[in-house]
Amino acid sequence: MVEFSTILAGFGDAFSLYNLAFVLFGVVLGQFVGAVPGIGPIMAMAIAIPFTFGLDPLPAIAFLVGVNKGGLVGGAVPAVLMNTPGTPDAAATALDGYPLAKQGKPLKATKMALFSSITGDTFSDIVLITVSAPLAVLALKMGPIEVVALMIFAFSILAGLIGNSLTKGIIAAAFGLLAASVGQDPENFTPRLIFGYWDLFDGLALPSVAIGMLAISEILHRLSEAHGNMRPAIIAKDTGNPDDRRVTWAEYWSCRFTMLRGATIGTILGALPGIGSTAAAFMSYAMTKAGSKDPGSFGKGNIQGIAASESANSAVVGANLIPLLTLGIPGSVGAALIISAFMIHGMQPGPLLFENQGRLVYGLFGAMIMANFVNLWVGQLGLRLWVKVVSAPESIIFSSALLLCFVGVSMATSGLFGVAIMLIFAVIGYLMASFGYSLVIFIIAFFLGPRFEKSIAQSLALTDGDLTQVLKSPVALALLILSVVSVVWFLRKNVHGEDE
Amino acid sequence: MNTMADRVSGLFFMALGLAMYFWINPNYIETVDGGNISPATLPNIISIILAIAGAFIAIKPTDHQIRNPVLMAKTGLYVTLLTAGIWAMSWFGFEYVAPVLALAIMWLIGERRPLWLSLGVVAMPAIIWFLVTQLLGRALP
Repeated sequence: MVEFSTILAGFGDAFSLYNLAFVLFGVVLGQFVGAVPGIGPIMAMAIAIPFTFGLDPLPAIAFLVGVNKGGLVGGAVPAVLMNTPGTPDAAATALDGYPLAKQGKPLKATKMALFSSITGDTFSDIVLITVSAPLAVLALKMGPIEVVALMIFAFSILAGLIGNSLTKGIIAAAFGLLAASVGQDPENFTPRLIFGYWDLFDGLALPSVAIGMLAISEILHRLSEAHGNMRPAIIAKDTGNPDDRRVTWAEYWSCRFTMLRGATIGTILGALPGIGSTAAAFMSYAMTKAGSKDPGSFGKGNIQGIAASESANSAVVGANLIPLLTLGIPGSVGAALIISAFMIHGMQPGPLLFENQGRLVYGLFGAMIMANFVNLWVGQLGLRLWVKVVSAPESIIFSSALLLCFVGVSMATSGLFGVAIMLIFAVIGYLMASFGYSLVIFIIAFFLGPRFEKSIAQSLALTDGDLTQVLKSPVALALLILSVVSVVWFLRKNVHGEDE
Repeated sequence: MNTMADRVSGLFFMALGLAMYFWINPNYIETVDGGNISPATLPNIISIILAIAGAFIAIKPTDHQIRNPVLMAKTGLYVTLLTAGIWAMSWFGFEYVAPVLALAIMWLIGERRPLWLSLGVVAMPAIIWFLVTQLLGRALP
C-alpha cells in the first residue's frame, strides 16, 4: 500500500509551474490537432514521444497526457461545426452537435461538448486515483469467456442505433464485420481476404476506414451540393439571443444524470482493455436516447446527446490507465503510446509500479487533474477561435480538410496505400449513407470485430469447444442476459418510436 | 411509395454475400489444419447473413429516398479527381500535386475570388508542408 506521504509528495511534484507549462503546451497541441480532421491526438502523441527523450519523466508524461486529453476536446469541434469528426470518438457527438450548430448555436454545442468532456474526464480521473488497483484486479479476473459475453453485450447495444429498419442495421453491422475480417486471421495468423496486397496483412487501418467513412464521405456530400454561391462551411445564423452562445447552469445541470451515466460507461469500458472510447460514446448515446422521454429529438440538436457522447469518450482516457498502471496492459492505442513513453523513461507499468515509483504515479495523477483545468481554460478560448476559423468559405475549408486528411492518414498508415483505402471507404460510406445504411453501426462493428473473433477463439481453446461453459460463469451469464434484455428493450423502443 | 433504392441496395448486398460465400472466401482465405475456428468461419457466417438480409430488404423494401442522382454523379467527379490526385502524388509527391488538387477542387466548387484561391492553393499547402516536414520532421506523401 502506498503511504500517504508518498501521495502528497507526488501531487506536490506535479503542481509546479514547470509541469504546468508542459501540460499547457500538450493541451494546446492536442486541441489544435484534434480539431483538424485526419490528424488527431494519437498521431500527435506518436510524433511527440521522441521529443520527450530529453525531459524528466513527470513533465514528459504530463505533456503526453495533455495531448491526449486536449485531443478529445478538440475532436468535438469539427464534429459539431462541420459534421466531420476530428477523431472517431467524436462521431457520436456530431449526431446532435452538428444539427445544433446548424440551428445557429455552434458555441452552445461546442461548449456543451467541452463541459461534458471535462466532467467525464474528471470523473474517470477520480475513479482512477481512488479505486484503480481493485478495479484492475477485477478486470484481470475476467477470462476469455467473460470477454466474449462482454463483446456480445457491446454488440447488443448496437440495436439502440438501428433506427427504422432492423434489416438495414443488420446489414451495416455484417458489412462492418466483413471489413474487419480483412487481414490476418487472429487465431492462425494466416492472410485472409488480402487479395495479394500485403499492406492489408495487418488489417484495414482504423484511421483510413474511420476518416474515410465519417469525414471524407461527408465532405464529398457537401462538395456535391456546392453550386458556386460561396458560403461558410458552417451556416451559423445569429439568433441574437445570448443564451444561444452559452450553456446555462440550468442546461448543464439538466444533463447531470446523462453525464454521470456517460462517465460511468466510459470509465467501465475504459478499464476493460480493448473496447475504447468510440464504443463508449455510442453506447452512452444509445442508452441516453433509449431512456429519454423524447427520443425523437435526438439527432436534431439535443444537448443531452452531446453530453452523453462527450462525457463517455473522455471518461475512457483516465480509465484506460487503470489496467495500464496496475497490470501493464494498454486498453487503447493512446494507452499503448503512453506505455511506450513510460518505458522510455524507465517506468515499468505493472503491479509493482505503485510500490516502486508511487511518487511518480501520484505525480502523474496530479498532472492529469491539472490537465483537466487547463483543458477547460484553453477550450473556452480555443473553441471561440475554431468557430471563427471554420466560418471561412467552404471552398477553402473542404479543400484544406481533404489535404489534411490525405497527409494525416498517410502519416498514420505510413504511405499512400492508407490514403487510397481511405478514399475507397469514403465512397462506400457515401453510398451507404445515400441508401440509408448506418455508418455508425458499420464503424462499431468494424472496431469490435477482431476482438470478438479473438475472444471466441480463446474461449473455445479454454473450454475444448464446449461453449456451454459460458453458463457456468456468473459474470458471463449476467452479461448475456443483459444483452438479450437490451436488444428486446431497444427494439421495442424503436417500434414505439415509429408508432408515435 | 418509391422502393427502388432499397431494392437496388438489397440486391447488391445479396449478390455480395453470395459472391463472398461461393467464390471470394474459398479462393482468398487460406485453409489451415487445427485450431478452434477456421479462418473462413466468421467471413462465411457474415456472408450468409448479408445475403439473407439483402434478399429480405429487396423483397420488403422501406420507402427510403435516395439522394439526388445528379448530386451523386457530381460526387463521382470529385472521387475521380481525388483518385487522380492520389495517383499523381505517388509519382510527383504532395508538394507538387497538392496545389493543383486544391485549385481543381476550389474551382469545381465555384470559388473564383483570387484571395481565397491563393489561400487555398498556395498558403494551405505551404502551411501543411511547414507543419509536417519542418515542425514535425515527418515525410509528406
